[in-house]
Amino acid sequence: MEFAAFADTAATVEDEPADLEIRTIVADALADAGSDLPTVTRFLLGRVFPAHDSRTLDIGPQLLYEALARAAGQNVSADDVETRLAETGEIGEVAASYEFGGQQGLAAFSAGGTEGLAVADVEDDLRSLAAAEGAGSQETKLDTLFGLFNRCESAEAKYLARLVLSEMRLGVGEGTVRDAIAEAFDVPVEDVQRALQVSNDYGHVATTAREEGASGLADITLTVGRPVQAMLAQTGTVTGALEDWGEAGVEIKYDGARVQVHYDGEAVSLYSRNMEEVTDPLPEVVETVESVVDVPVILDGEVVAVDDDGTPLPFQQVLRRFRRKHDVARAREDVSVRLHAFDCLHADGEDLLDAPLATRHERLASVVDDESVVSTLQVHDDAEAIEAVETDALAGGHEGIMLKQPEAAYTPGKRGQDWRKRKPDVETLDLVVTGAEWGEGRRASLLGTFELSVRAGEAYETIGKVATGITDEQLEELTDLLSPHIRNEDGTAVDIAPAVVFEVGYEEIQTSPTYSSGYALRFPRFVTVREDKEPATADTLERVKRLAGEGGR
Amino acid sequence: MFNAIVSANTLQATLDSVGVLVDECKIHMEEDGLEIRAVDPANVGMVDLSLSAEAFESYEADGGLIGVNLVRLQDIAGMADSDQLVHLELDEETRKLHISIDGLEYTLALIDPESIREEPDLPDLDLPANIVIEGRDIDRAVTAADMVSDHIELGVDDAEEVFYVKAEGDTDDVHLELDTDDLIDLVVGAASSLFSLDYLKDMNKAIPADAEVRMELGEEFPVKMHFDIADGEGAVTFMLAPRIQSN
Repeated sequence: MEFAAFADTAATVEDEPADLEIRTIVADALADAGSDLPTVTRFLLGRVFPAHDSRTLDIGPQLLYEALARAAGQNVSADDVETRLAETGEIGEVAASYEFGGQQGLAAFSAGGTEGLAVADVEDDLRSLAAAEGAGSQETKLDTLFGLFNRCESAEAKYLARLVLSEMRLGVGEGTVRDAIAEAFDVPVEDVQRALQVSNDYGHVATTAREEGASGLADITLTVGRPVQAMLAQTGTVTGALEDWGEAGVEIKYDGARVQVHYDGEAVSLYSRNMEEVTDPLPEVVETVESVVDVPVILDGEVVAVDDDGTPLPFQQVLRRFRRKHDVARAREDVSVRLHAFDCLHADGEDLLDAPLATRHERLASVVDDESVVSTLQVHDDAEAIEAVETDALAGGHEGIMLKQPEAAYTPGKRGQDWRKRKPDVETLDLVVTGAEWGEGRRASLLGTFELSVRAGEAYETIGKVATGITDEQLEELTDLLSPHIRNEDGTAVDIAPAVVFEVGYEEIQTSPTYSSGYALRFPRFVTVREDKEPATADTLERVKRLAGEGGR
Repeated sequence: MFNAIVSANTLQATLDSVGVLVDECKIHMEEDGLEIRAVDPANVGMVDLSLSAEAFESYEADGGLIGVNLVRLQDIAGMADSDQLVHLELDEETRKLHISIDGLEYTLALIDPESIREEPDLPDLDLPANIVIEGRDIDRAVTAADMVSDHIELGVDDAEEVFYVKAEGDTDDVHLELDTDDLIDLVVGAASSLFSLDYLKDMNKAIPADAEVRMELGEEFPVKMHFDIADGEGAVTFMLAPRIQSN
């Protein structure tokens, strides 16, 4: 395929406002691409390499300006190109505004030399350019780019410039290409989707769809050493998860960086969430995997920075390690990291993407020979037990909890409903403590499970109880604070005069017959004591009504 | 098999002639000497070099081919004083080149020749004008043109019997004429072509000031420049494709 024909398609797509039409144009282009199919597929997405490939062109704008200037003609400088870019605002337009081809190639003077630029030529040159490294490589890259632009008509130059800077902007997303592959080669879109998820290689999937159809797509499997996109989570609530699933898998949400572990039986490679290789910066994770895993695996997990006692450190500390290229050994002394594996995508020749979470986690625990490396997955069907997990997680210095549908498959790259980060409290209310309960066992002398009320005119109406988010130490302080205000006791139940105001976080407000206000807080959590407030300035029932109304219930 | 001893300045001149155009190249180790041909990534400038076995203190080869990182090899050769001898020996087993310079041992990993840009066909051109000129005059022309422009026009005025150089900048112009007294030889013919100074500057770096350069020129045709290295035991040809003259 001539690069000019590709540029033509790209221009047609760019001018087409309707998504359906775009899909058809892309499908036609794929159907006509012949042996250039993988390249055309990637180019339409603005990529030179498949997404799982760690190679990059590594061409900065300045280098591109210089190449354009050199190809543009006599006495055009990189500064001139930059000036034009400032005027038009888009590198493709700038590239298209010059007339190239002034410099002839030697091939024009050889017998049978053709000067037309093919899609394959562009790919070959860009790949050799990506391979250039070391002293003199900038010059080689410049020469190569210059040579390419020199062979471009202005329409071609427009898209070449964008491709080089990875700014294709055709309005062709991954979804469009997925659908177009299905349309062009008459295969089910779900099969294309699955093959894309496991391979991350649009060119390869397109070719397989054309050559081998649906059965060929089904044969595309995970490959150890080729990263897949990470499954992502939405924010959600405990109550919502339990309503939707009946029971929820609960895990600590680690405040670290996502890492995908590939072990082929001999070597470990690690990839970040963006599928960049991060093996070298994290030698202790490599060592951990080598020592606790025997069979080939692909694991999903989180790498957390810890201090000498094993207490988690903020996320930024991990990032610092990820970006470290030099002097890793010293960085490792400053901040060490620890792997928490929480999923298993492949074990010993078997792909597990379609297996339920609970099964994958069992495999994870069986292939990793060290419990401390495996994240604990608890399955609970009641909110209180989940609250307890969260309290422990927060007390352990972690970020919170993850909620996972125990039956769900692993869906790479998808931010779906099957994994949920417990929504952080969007709102807090300042509520008056009007009651409490004496604890049990070693907490018998401490007040706990505080009854909360809102202000309703002169009176106070109950809205819920809070027992979560409070450490033992805080319980002691709160008991001291509240004891003077105890009006009377009935068994373990304590009636407290309105005096102390808590700031309380919650997931949602719902109507409820249980409490006298007519409302209840879902998943209330103690935040702090509002020393600066008194019951007369606590939140009112009107405000609660308004907030409940906004919630749509 | 390849085992040779060569003076550092011969090796440096050889590598520099190729290194001005490319970072890596294939070297053919023929029985009667080395052959290198390479074209720059944009397919605009080409070098064709041969270095006879006579240029070496000792030379043994049987027609092998290696790929080398020229930048690295130039650095190593630069470690030697110009009158020192450099011993090059190919280890067929490990595919590495052993280089020794007065006790300094360097083992250079080679590049798979397959991965190196294909060697170009040498265009067969019959160019009408022949100019034989000293290297230092080329340097003077290039340096002057570079002050005003990024392009240079080379031509022959057959009526006046002069070789001329023109460079037009946005504001300033440069013009240089060399007649038969200034040149070593001149065969007039219709010739005028425009070239990118980027390339010509690079080639100029590899042309010794005292070299006798035979330049072949035509109308909107590539220029060829032939000169000798290693006291006549080596021959270099540069070829550079022209730019289209817009006016």
